[in-house]
Amino acid sequence: MSGVTWMRTKLTFVVAGLVVVSARPAPAHHAFSAEFDADRPIHLEGTVKKMEWINPHAWVHIEVAKPDGTAETWMIEGGTPNTLLRRGFTKKSLLPGTKIVVDGYQAKDGSLKGNGRDLTFPDGSKLFMGSSGTGAPNDGRDPTEQKKPKR
Amino acid sequence: MRNRFQGAAVAVALAAPLTVISLVSTPRGQPAQALQAPYQAPRTADGRPDLSGIWQALGTAHWDIEGHAARPGPVVALGALGAVPAGLGVVEGGEIPYQPWAATQKQKNLDNWLASDPAVKCFMPGVPRATYMPFPFQIVQTPEFVLMTYEFASATRVLYMDKPDFESPFDTWMGHSRGRWEGETLVVDVTSQVGDTWFDSSGNFHSDAVHVVERYTAMSPDALWYEAEIEDPNVFARPWKMSMPLYRRLDRNVQLLEFKCVEFVEELMYGHLRKQPNK
Amino acid sequence: MRRESEVRIRCLGVLTAVMAVASLAPLPVAGQATPPAPDTWTPTRTPWGDPDLSGIWDFRTLTPLERPSELSGKEVLSDEDAAEYERETLRALDKDRRTSDGLTAEQDVRNAYNQFWWDYGTKLTEDKRTSLIVDPPDGRVPPLTPEAQKRADARTEALQRPAHGPEDRTVWERCILGLNTGPPMNPSVYNNNVHLFQIPGTVVILTEMAHDARIVLMDGRPHLPEDIRQWRGDSRGHWEGDTLVVDTTNFTGKTSFRGSGTEMHLVERFTRVGAETLLYEYTIDDPKSFERTWSAVIPMRRTEEPMFEYACHEGNYGMFNLLEGARVQERLAEESARTKSK
Repeated sequence: MSGVTWMRTKLTFVVAGLVVVSARPAPAHHAFSAEFDADRPIHLEGTVKKMEWINPHAWVHIEVAKPDGTAETWMIEGGTPNTLLRRGFTKKSLLPGTKIVVDGYQAKDGSLKGNGRDLTFPDGSKLFMGSSGTGAPNDGRDPTEQKKPKR
Repeated sequence: MRNRFQGAAVAVALAAPLTVISLVSTPRGQPAQALQAPYQAPRTADGRPDLSGIWQALGTAHWDIEGHAARPGPVVALGALGAVPAGLGVVEGGEIPYQPWAATQKQKNLDNWLASDPAVKCFMPGVPRATYMPFPFQIVQTPEFVLMTYEFASATRVLYMDKPDFESPFDTWMGHSRGRWEGETLVVDVTSQVGDTWFDSSGNFHSDAVHVVERYTAMSPDALWYEAEIEDPNVFARPWKMSMPLYRRLDRNVQLLEFKCVEFVEELMYGHLRKQPNK
Repeated sequence: MRRESEVRIRCLGVLTAVMAVASLAPLPVAGQATPPAPDTWTPTRTPWGDPDLSGIWDFRTLTPLERPSELSGKEVLSDEDAAEYERETLRALDKDRRTSDGLTAEQDVRNAYNQFWWDYGTKLTEDKRTSLIVDPPDGRVPPLTPEAQKRADARTEALQRPAHGPEDRTVWERCILGLNTGPPMNPSVYNNNVHLFQIPGTVVILTEMAHDARIVLMDGRPHLPEDIRQWRGDSRGHWEGDTLVVDTTNFTGKTSFRGSGTEMHLVERFTRVGAETLLYEYTIDDPKSFERTWSAVIPMRRTEEPMFEYACHEGNYGMFNLLEGARVQERLAEESARTKSK
């Protein structure tokens, strides 16, 4: 079988009356399943301390208040900041002090790290944008999208 | 070459005051050439000095940009080949003008060089260090963009020509470079660099506020004169400057080869996390 | 199905791909004179007379590399089917879908993060092909040879186990090359951008991921000697009519493109077919790895947006995390085995 290093995410949908099981062209782009534990879901409400605008993945550091009154700092993994930049977002888009909600999975080594499977504001709106759900930056479908950077 | 007489006339006009200065003291780092008729590189199709080619610095700036005697290196097993050769330094005026706290930090960096130098881990060297790493780099010069690609770590940057208002939205390892021409000189304004790169392997460092202005001027068909002015109000008491020649690589069939050093530092960085650590 | 123009594309093998691309000028067949362009775009040239391919090109697409087996025999989709395919693919790919939509926790972890981080485009190629592969005609990567299959199986095994070391992981997780760098370049989940630079005698292919500048020497010199191998091979270029042909050999074998090996001979062709369109085509000639040659065609769209630095290794927390996670899980498994045996 060819393409074995390209773990396929099987998508099943109907096109032209045919049930299609499509192999995505994208490889398993990152070993999230190697880093994070499906048996350790997390739900955190915290305050942004800082955001690392780095590749291959951006990291948001948040402070989470524990029931006993102390605080823990978590590192939450996001995606490539380059995509965010293409959507017109900058370092100023997520300032320290902002409250965010993280739904994700904890690191396999048990440390205070998680993948930001779903990052939202407390009111439920998606972090950074109202997601048009299409994956298309600046395609005009999202009225809340900001201007993209120009050369 | 073309414009020789025009060039000579200009040079005579410029040389007069320079000649006077040279009688008093030789400005550190000034090539003797600057006192004669300035060399004019062949032109590109859009009329600019053509700096395309493969270039490399000689000397020991990558070890230590300040003047220094030879000294032992940190890896005993490497013996003479791991020791640091002497160098006259490339910093104009001799010493980097650190603020007092920063001078202490520099010493700490130097004392912990092996563990702290980002280039040991194959991190991109930033600007200006990428220029004088002991590896070639290639300039590919087009009117709108000038590409500089460095053999070390395949580090790369693009100079955006004549776009002074184009800002970078985030800090990067190789910085954000905006270029323009001033006569024979390519002037590059480098901003938005991360604060994690060093100037050399001797702990000389900066913060993320660093602002570098480079100047590349052809000295002769096979050499460029390179200057970099450094400004960082967090770290230095005042701006300072380094300068050095860059030599064209003239080897037969020369081309940039690969030095994708990530592979060579995996053991260093991740070896302790292997299932079976290498002995 | 309507076609606006019919174009012949010349590969190493002769093949015909029917493309319905608006304002597409007929491509020159190697060895023949360039036919007159029937429409309005005048090819621009560099000052020294070569076709101008320079600039930044975006190669996002929803078209899969391989034709889904359910669509076998269907080389192109009708307009309606294409729209449906796009819609359905985007829905299926929507990372905002969570376990409540029927995904398992494992799938949810793999989806990584919210939809706003992803950027694979929203459209199929304009000609609505069902695969980027145009040869073989079934639109699929040819079968691997036994030795290539062994290599591929070893890679799969390494990827599916808790990593023993960084070498178990893909070249992009190690930050040595990018997801879509290749060579050859292939669209992926984001940062599908490449910047081409042209000066006399040299073309540079700078992919955004991972800041890799592939220098294509055009002065006719031979490839590097056999014993000098590189992760991205060694590229030489020449013009065939208005097509830039890039020939790449000297691969290391430490990474693989869909099963390729050290003896891969990659031929890429770049042809500017419109003001906004660069046609990128690659042919893999690697008889030690594949039972036959195969080719794909990817149209690239000109963009005025800048590329951004993709400094990967410098921020690769992920590698530490996955190795550390693997070791912790092993220790926990050992401890629980010890406890059980008491």
